[in-house]
Amino acid sequence: MFNFLSKKLRSWQQQNQNINKENKENDNSKKTKENSQAKLSSNLKENLDSIKAILGVCEDLIIREFAFGNKGQISAAIIFIDGMVDRTLINDNIIKPLMYDNRFICEEESLEIKNIDIIKGTILYVGEIEKSTTINDLVESCLSGDTILLIEKAKEALVISSRGWETRGVVDPETETIVRGPREGFTENLRTNTTLLRRKIKSPDFMLEAMKIGRKTNTAISIAYLKGVANPEVIEEAKRRLKRIDTDGILESGYIEGFIEDAPLSIFSTIGNSEKPDTVAGKILEGRVAVLVDGTPFVLTFPMVFIEGFQSAEDYYSRPYYASLVRVIRFIAFAISILAPSSYVAATTFHQELIPTPLLFTVAASSEGTPFPAVVEVLAMGVIFEILREAGIRLPRPVGQAISIVGALVIGESAVSAGLIGGIVVIVIALTAVASFVVPAQTDSGAILRVILVILAGSMGGVGIMVGLIGILIHLASLRSFGTPYLSPLAPLSPFDLKDVFFRVPIWAMLTRPKSIVRQNIQRQKFILKPTPPPEKKDKGGSK
Amino acid sequence: MKIEKGVISSSQLTFMIIGFLQASNLLLVFSSRIVNHDSWLAILVGLVISIPIALSYAALAKEFSGKTLIQISDIIYGAYLGKMISVSYILIFLLTFSIDLRLFSDFLITYIMPETPIWAILTLLTFLSAWAVRGGIEVIARCSFIIIAMASIIILSTFVFLLSDMEFSNFLPVFDLPLKDFIQGTHINVSLYYLEIIIFLMIMAFVNKTEQVRGSMLWGLILGGVSLLILEVRNVAVLGIVSNILTSPSFNAVRYISVAEVFTRLEMFVVIMLITTVFLKVSIMYYATVLGLAQTLHLRSYLPLVTPIGIITISLCIISGDSSMELLHGGMYIWPVFILPIQLFPVLSLFIVKLRKKSKKLGANEE
Repeated sequence: MFNFLSKKLRSWQQQNQNINKENKENDNSKKTKENSQAKLSSNLKENLDSIKAILGVCEDLIIREFAFGNKGQISAAIIFIDGMVDRTLINDNIIKPLMYDNRFICEEESLEIKNIDIIKGTILYVGEIEKSTTINDLVESCLSGDTILLIEKAKEALVISSRGWETRGVVDPETETIVRGPREGFTENLRTNTTLLRRKIKSPDFMLEAMKIGRKTNTAISIAYLKGVANPEVIEEAKRRLKRIDTDGILESGYIEGFIEDAPLSIFSTIGNSEKPDTVAGKILEGRVAVLVDGTPFVLTFPMVFIEGFQSAEDYYSRPYYASLVRVIRFIAFAISILAPSSYVAATTFHQELIPTPLLFTVAASSEGTPFPAVVEVLAMGVIFEILREAGIRLPRPVGQAISIVGALVIGESAVSAGLIGGIVVIVIALTAVASFVVPAQTDSGAILRVILVILAGSMGGVGIMVGLIGILIHLASLRSFGTPYLSPLAPLSPFDLKDVFFRVPIWAMLTRPKSIVRQNIQRQKFILKPTPPPEKKDKGGSK
Repeated sequence: MKIEKGVISSSQLTFMIIGFLQASNLLLVFSSRIVNHDSWLAILVGLVISIPIALSYAALAKEFSGKTLIQISDIIYGAYLGKMISVSYILIFLLTFSIDLRLFSDFLITYIMPETPIWAILTLLTFLSAWAVRGGIEVIARCSFIIIAMASIIILSTFVFLLSDMEFSNFLPVFDLPLKDFIQGTHINVSLYYLEIIIFLMIMAFVNKTEQVRGSMLWGLILGGVSLLILEVRNVAVLGIVSNILTSPSFNAVRYISVAEVFTRLEMFVVIMLITTVFLKVSIMYYATVLGLAQTLHLRSYLPLVTPIGIITISLCIISGDSSMELLHGGMYIWPVFILPIQLFPVLSLFIVKLRKKSKKLGANEE
């Protein structure tokens, strides 16, 4: 039956593809007919008309026609989108030099400045200027915030980089708060984000490659990696997958993630994300590839391995012993977050003999008189917790307070005192809830695993939990992220990489980059960097 | 045409062999019924005996690197005789697979879930292994390290926690039994778990460094054997003569653990260890069966065989014995005798290959 279904699916996909191809061809042919090949003519008015024809009646399109030269004999126009440009730059560095400075030159020179190269080379005070000849290019760059300068009798136009719009400042990232370490976070502006990274890694090897995705949104993305360290195959594969994307819009890096990940149907994400420049810089230094997307502070990094979720940037800033302890705590918390409810269900429903006798009395007393079986209680409380969490996120801040009071006191306390659920269930769910936020990368997958395990525990007891866990293990072992096994360095085992799994060795002992990710340039620092006291100087006579 | 694209490392082969042997925890009772408290000696002697045979398996794998047992017998014995031999290998794999699964399900039903029908547990376990088998050898190999790390921690920690309950006088008098019984017990040990690593002749072909196969096989065998030894010593020292009567002495021995009267009832860890290692063992055997069948029939992929073989196995498990006692009798008196010749067959193959090579060399010299 599955074969049949998959065959159907495949043929349907193929059909779709064909249709898409035709659509695209149609699109393209239309475009080629209309404008993409259309060159600029030497008539300014004609050019303006054809640009107006494409951009239509956009209210934010501003066309400023003016004339310059010593007698104002050269007519020209600048075109830009209001709000996307830096107005002072346009006024002071484009219009002013043309209109004001040029009045004082003599007639012979004034004839020369009709030449667009001279304007570009000697008059405008702007860092980045390019020439363009097709109308399509002009419209595209205009829409991304550049200013276009058209001049009468010139078959070329100048595209002047003048992007400047309102952005959020570099502030504390909200999702990854830390105690020690840099406080800055990525913003929605791609250029700011690349700058934040570039400021951390000031090396010519640090590469940023630009790409545009999205038929309608034309979203700029940037692939960042360290040349000579990152695996070239991963970079190639990433580019291949990114080029494959053919969709109308990319609004967040989650879209990109959905299009390029290895296991699209898995509940585990095989691509990491972070909002902190130092985290991303650390991953790039380890040989990973990062993808920055315009319009979102979340940067994708890959290849991702499972244990990455348990590592935090702060581990490397604090002292190794405490960092290692916190690592272990995170693993325990993750185990609690997925196993606590199911263990409770299994122990109270199937294996009462496993609970020590004094505890058994307490458990029995608390669940005495409650109307539902343990599975139902746990599942219901789990659902209620998820509802509270969702409500807490979506509601406006002031109302959120009320929700937490209602959630914690009314539902928790009253349900117990009314005898609807046992007190221990509330404790178990609360503990689970707290523990599930310790490992943010696995919070969403953990919520799903929890439900599956509770259902298995309710039907098969401890054996059900074990079956579930082995199933998770099989699934994790079969995952790959850009060629790297998801469970590495545990499976396949690479003993040298265990330095950063259950404990974190001191920084001077982290000699290598992860072997499963990097194939070249594996040593990252010198061998003997352990700080030692200076060798004792031999006493020279007299100096005591 | 390559049926399996995965590649495993030699260390993963070692882990798989260790896990494979640790799963034989359940089979320890077969020999200890016969040799009583000297079973640790039978395990040790069995290990020593099986090392040279295992080395000859490794030598055969080295001779035909990149070829599985089925392909090797095709090459040595020709198309027709080779096929017959292959079929007997596959039959042995399938039967061992189903009997191990049945024994474990029996254990679960006896100790943990007495009211669950056996087919439910069988289906669940077979489904899990089928899932792993469909993932290929790489997935099974990757699971192996985590499983044996957990199992080894459980074996060692239960040993340490039970030290206070151990009576080493339980081992006395040493070797107070007829030689015939000792040989029988050793035979059971050798053929029921040590030489079952014949199954790895199906897997060694996918190891990336062929020259390391020998070492990893040896280490796997020794470490696996030592963990079985630790288990047996623990059981006999804690339980004494009772350990020969119980169905699962490990389960009962660990019940004695009581650390500060808080950590009690730790037998669930035995179940965790058993369920994971048995899963590993069963997946390896399932994989070997399916792959062997696909290679015998010259299929392009083994995936279409996974589901049918799984269903056949479930039925085989159910009809292989009416009761645990019947299985026990079969395991003690019938199965070892039946299985040993086939386990020794690769040694004969190696002998034939070496002989042929020598005669070729001689012939070349004469010319």
